[in-house]
Amino acid sequence: MKPSPRWAAAAAVCAAALLAPLLLSETQLPVYIVLVLAACVVTGLSMLMGYAGQVSLGQAAFFMIGGYTAALIALEELPTWLGLAASPLVAAVLAAVIGVPLLRLRGHQLAFATLAVQLILLNLVGQQEWTGGDIGLQGVPRLAIGGYEFADDVAYAYLALAVLGLTVLITRNIVKSRPGRGLRALATSEVAAESSGVPVAGYKLAVFSLSAGFAGLAGGVYAFYFGYVAPSSFPVLLSFEYVVMVVVGGAGTIYGALVGATAVTLLLQLLNNIGTMEGMPAAAPTVLSYAVYGVLLVLVVLFMPRGLVPTAAAWWERRRSARPRGDDPASDGAERPAPAPASV
Amino acid sequence: MSDFLQYLISGLAVGCGFALLASGLVTIHRVTHVVNFAQGMFAVVAGLTAGSFLSVGLPHGLAEVAAVAVAGAVGLLVGLIAIGKPGTSAQSALIATLGLGFAAYAVEIMIWGDNPRSHPGLRGTVEIAGAYVQKQSFLVIGVTAAVFAALLAFFTRTYLGKALSACAANPYAARAVGINVTRMGLVAFVLGGMLGGAAGVLLTPLMPISYNSDVLLITNGFAAAVLGALNRPGLALIGALTLGVAETMVAGYYEASYQTVVALALMLVIMIWQSSRRTALQEEAAR
Repeated sequence: MKPSPRWAAAAAVCAAALLAPLLLSETQLPVYIVLVLAACVVTGLSMLMGYAGQVSLGQAAFFMIGGYTAALIALEELPTWLGLAASPLVAAVLAAVIGVPLLRLRGHQLAFATLAVQLILLNLVGQQEWTGGDIGLQGVPRLAIGGYEFADDVAYAYLALAVLGLTVLITRNIVKSRPGRGLRALATSEVAAESSGVPVAGYKLAVFSLSAGFAGLAGGVYAFYFGYVAPSSFPVLLSFEYVVMVVVGGAGTIYGALVGATAVTLLLQLLNNIGTMEGMPAAAPTVLSYAVYGVLLVLVVLFMPRGLVPTAAAWWERRRSARPRGDDPASDGAERPAPAPASV
Repeated sequence: MSDFLQYLISGLAVGCGFALLASGLVTIHRVTHVVNFAQGMFAVVAGLTAGSFLSVGLPHGLAEVAAVAVAGAVGLLVGLIAIGKPGTSAQSALIATLGLGFAAYAVEIMIWGDNPRSHPGLRGTVEIAGAYVQKQSFLVIGVTAAVFAALLAFFTRTYLGKALSACAANPYAARAVGINVTRMGLVAFVLGGMLGGAAGVLLTPLMPISYNSDVLLITNGFAAAVLGALNRPGLALIGALTLGVAETMVAGYYEASYQTVVALALMLVIMIWQSSRRTALQEEAAR
């Protein structure tokens, strides 16, 4: 395949992401790591929302399960890499188990059901002795794989990037495959997909548990990086935040997930900096961040319902096809004259 | 026995609050097919506003009614944003109301701060068969009964109520006979806002609320309404009362912190049970 703008863009994004940990300052690195971990969760959620057509308002629950799994295993003096390996598995298996009854629900019912699952889980985790109650688990050791200890922020930034790379690769391969097309069909109409031979229930469950696995893996890295997990680290608002990121970026596209996570995190960080400036009231950062979530979500849903990336891509395609053909002989836009539906 | 009676009555009172919230949810869903995630926010706004009105010296009664009116205005605003733009799907509107809930957080923290607040309701307790019950509980139950009776009369006896029911039954036919469906949707949002507001005003003296109480209020309201598939206020009332009593009993006899778990688990079971009696074909046909 000849190099196209698409590949050039992907290479540029990768290069920027890989260089960033070396260039960012000490105060910026934690934000970067949280951003990359959020992007992992959002990639999975975006696939669930965009391809399987199901909204989960409880995705942070799986992030929490991953975090607690990693922390519990590491605190049992077992090898820490085992904790990281187990975090996506436990999250995915739990999602598959609760998904069997839950995924019979659709639309707003599933949204509320996933929200309920997270509230129940938060409540239970806050009561149990072995999860450390409301205080949570502290003193999680640093992650060590094969004798190498992830000690500083730069190491964790690259770990998070590796996790994101894995997530994106898996998602991309699924989306491009036959099951991916089946998923897109069932998001439009389950009945039509089912009658064309798509195993609707199985695919939905697989995507649900895969997206939970991504969230669990990100949660595992989170636990090792911060060294503690508590119910208050995984509020319901975190789940809503992921939904905001998916909607802003554009559900069902990998770039959308990355752009959504980046845009929302950077905007919040910017406002946080403004809010903590001198002369601002103490509540200003909180107020600003809530206002941003709210306003952003409403504006995007009403005026850019497909999200930033698909809207921008469609605009770009329109501009290219409006130009006279002779100008641009290498254009691959000529092969796809109509604005293609959101692709990766 | 006296414990039981006490839990029963205060559970019924809490359930009545949920019922008001749920009836607002049902009203909006019936007419516009939008599940209004901001329904809990109406209650929070009204509860906090009533407290502010009382503290500036407005007498009881007037302060509460004014707060409910404010909630109605907020409801109109939410409706304008959620369904005002033509072509907004019900799913998009749900996400938009979620966003409006966030925006409301910002406003609420700016005005009232982030600590839980409460305002005094009807003071004192009544003794019944050895059980001491707060008078406010009886007030909640009484007002809820009156509101539900008024709603019944409104939907069956007035032109506006009948027009709303017409939109709920068949929007296309309603438009054909000259009913402005969008305007009726906005009326439903105002009504939903006032019902949510009434719940907030009545419940705040029983349980302090803060800006983020809305998540728990909306999940309880939704849990109650889901019994009637978000379309039947009567079943929502039954669901809400069951929920309120069950939660209070769990809190009283077992462990207070498990009360929401019980409510949520109940909601999940009901939803899954209902979904097993419905096929994907029916759901897609209803869209």
